[in-house]
Amino acid sequence: MTNDSIVQGAPMRHRGGRRIGLGVTIAVAVILLAAGLGGGYVLGGSHGASSGATKYTLLETGSTLIFPYMNILGPKFTSLYPNIQISPQATGSGTGISSAEAGTVDLGGTDAYLLPSVAANYSLINVPIAISAQLAVYNIPGITTHLNLNGTVLSMIYSEKITKWNDPLIQAANPGVALPDQTIVPLHRSDGSGDTFMWTSMMYMSWSGWTGGYGTTYSWMANQKGYEGNAGMVSGLESTPYGLAYIGISYLSEIQADSSLQYAALGDEAAIVNGTNPANYVLPSAQNISEDANLALKNLQPPSVAISLILGGVPGATDLKLGAGGTLPTAQYPTPYPDTNLEYILISTHPANPSKQTWVVNFLEWAMTFGASYATQVNFLPLTPTVVGYNIQALGGVNVSA
Amino acid sequence: MDPPTGDQPVPGGEGASAAPFSALPTPRSITWRAWLGSPIALLPLALVAAIVIVLLYASELKNFGWSFWSFNYLFDPLTDSGSFGVGIFAAGSAITATLALILAGLLSLAIAISLTVYLPPIASRPLTILTNLLAGIPSVVYGIWGYVILAPYFGSTLEPTLQNVIGFIPGFGGTRVDTAGGTGLLLAIFILTIMVIPLTTAIMRESLRNVPRDLVEAGLALGATQWEVTRQVRLKVARGGLWGALFLGFGRAIGEAVAVAMVIGASIQIPSTIYGGSTTIASFIFYQLDSAFTYPSLLQALVEYALILLAIAVIVNVVGQRATHSDTIAAATGGV
Repeated sequence: MTNDSIVQGAPMRHRGGRRIGLGVTIAVAVILLAAGLGGGYVLGGSHGASSGATKYTLLETGSTLIFPYMNILGPKFTSLYPNIQISPQATGSGTGISSAEAGTVDLGGTDAYLLPSVAANYSLINVPIAISAQLAVYNIPGITTHLNLNGTVLSMIYSEKITKWNDPLIQAANPGVALPDQTIVPLHRSDGSGDTFMWTSMMYMSWSGWTGGYGTTYSWMANQKGYEGNAGMVSGLESTPYGLAYIGISYLSEIQADSSLQYAALGDEAAIVNGTNPANYVLPSAQNISEDANLALKNLQPPSVAISLILGGVPGATDLKLGAGGTLPTAQYPTPYPDTNLEYILISTHPANPSKQTWVVNFLEWAMTFGASYATQVNFLPLTPTVVGYNIQALGGVNVSA
Repeated sequence: MDPPTGDQPVPGGEGASAAPFSALPTPRSITWRAWLGSPIALLPLALVAAIVIVLLYASELKNFGWSFWSFNYLFDPLTDSGSFGVGIFAAGSAITATLALILAGLLSLAIAISLTVYLPPIASRPLTILTNLLAGIPSVVYGIWGYVILAPYFGSTLEPTLQNVIGFIPGFGGTRVDTAGGTGLLLAIFILTIMVIPLTTAIMRESLRNVPRDLVEAGLALGATQWEVTRQVRLKVARGGLWGALFLGFGRAIGEAVAVAMVIGASIQIPSTIYGGSTTIASFIFYQLDSAFTYPSLLQALVEYALILLAIAVIVNVVGQRATHSDTIAAATGGV
């Protein structure tokens, strides 16, 4: 309608100019097209010559938390198998799930597992590829140390029951720290996000006053602003003094690169489960994250790998609906980091192209075994042997060509 | 839209525009072009019908009851249920589109008058090309510009300054929480204004240019100044087109999803200040669509929001096209 309205009343003397413009546009388009085709042909030719195997580009989309990891794994896998390219996109876990359901991608990355009952409807399986964690990051001018925060306090902040940084509950957890008398500005994700799923799961399990459940989307309090993706959260928090945000651990280097941002130590699970003050606060170190994962995975019910690791997991639960709470630390795992998670890849068990799916399975098996050594580059952790075992078993059920 | 009041008889809308074309030779036989062309001409109609049918089918016309028309939006992903009130989003759309349109309308009118009346062709031609160029920039580019460049500036400098200087005006005060990050209503309105200006300017410019020369010269011959002729003759003859420009601009502003989503702050509220975060219908659909595939009732709600947007778009465009059309009639009949 725009063009109609403009052209409708255009005086004739402009027509000549338009024709020249159109000619130039077409010429440029033709040149670009020719260049693109030529480039593609040359690339295709060289690859075809170097290996006899069929070339595939495996499409991955979803979790912005997985994205940096896929960017490392993809080229490594291609260097081993030049006929396979991995093409990852950071679109948010919501898109990862919906694209996998729609069958438009080969690998749907998500921080939130898809309920096994729903996954079955779409012939999808959850395949964990790494253990990740989430950080509570803040931008408080003048404070550069790790504050002590816990699930209950964070839940109350996002419910706006706690509105000031020097609230007695925060001050009690941080004796000796000069907390500013400033309003807290909580940030959230505007897109469908597995980080939102993890964060709201922790809120839901930590404090009985939390309403609205948990999921990849959530009805946030009115005045809270949203940002797109983990990268958007980092840049949003940078321009929000006294702000608080939840950010995936694979963005740790971006957080550390900005001196105004710092992440919190989180209170242990004992406090949440027993309703007492946390005995100790734990940083998201590799040791603490793996303790939480091991604690929760003790509860893993074969063959499902859909499990929340938040607060050490809920005993016997593959779905948080079955109960709020958490698992107490044990003598073996004394300092679990509560905001821990499995990163999932959704793949189809009945793919349209089984011979391509062979490579999807190959890639995943490589990623969770040999490729797992790259996990620490984005502060992820390799899967435990139990989970890898379940994965191999599950991948055996995928319809691939011999 | 306005009934012409000239002394000569005025034919109906269709007759007037069809008159010049009746002189064209009629095709002698049905050519291959006609065979091929006729069904293709029906394609837009078929597409619109298909969109409506698919949307109706996808929503399964789930009745959310009166709460759908309320200001209460509260979705519980656990139970996949909740209250899907469209009110807050509709208000967000209305506020951003209306304010952006008022700003864009005033600026466009000034630009259009300058281009058609005052500036010599050597100046107006490149400026016309420039405004047309602005119209061709994809909305996501405006969005990125707003998000990356403008938002930090708005949040750190402009909005706190505005709070200090004109904070006493209701809606312009507020706290640091409102201006946090720089995203919010003000930035969305700013971006929308810039996006709408090229469209409204183009239509207004052509409407003013189509004002019959004899009317203008008659006015000047009577001793009126350029400004008086512009006010009394040009604007009156072209008023249909000017109103049409506003309606079509409104359609553009209310339907914009991506650029607005990037800068409006994604808060589900009607903020108490102009700086606060909000959401429009279009941008809310953009935010929630990916999650909605996991939550069936959320998807149904989004589809019904989309139907509302579609209805608004149809109404606004029909009214806008009618208004610009009536202007063409007025120009053709010489009626004021």
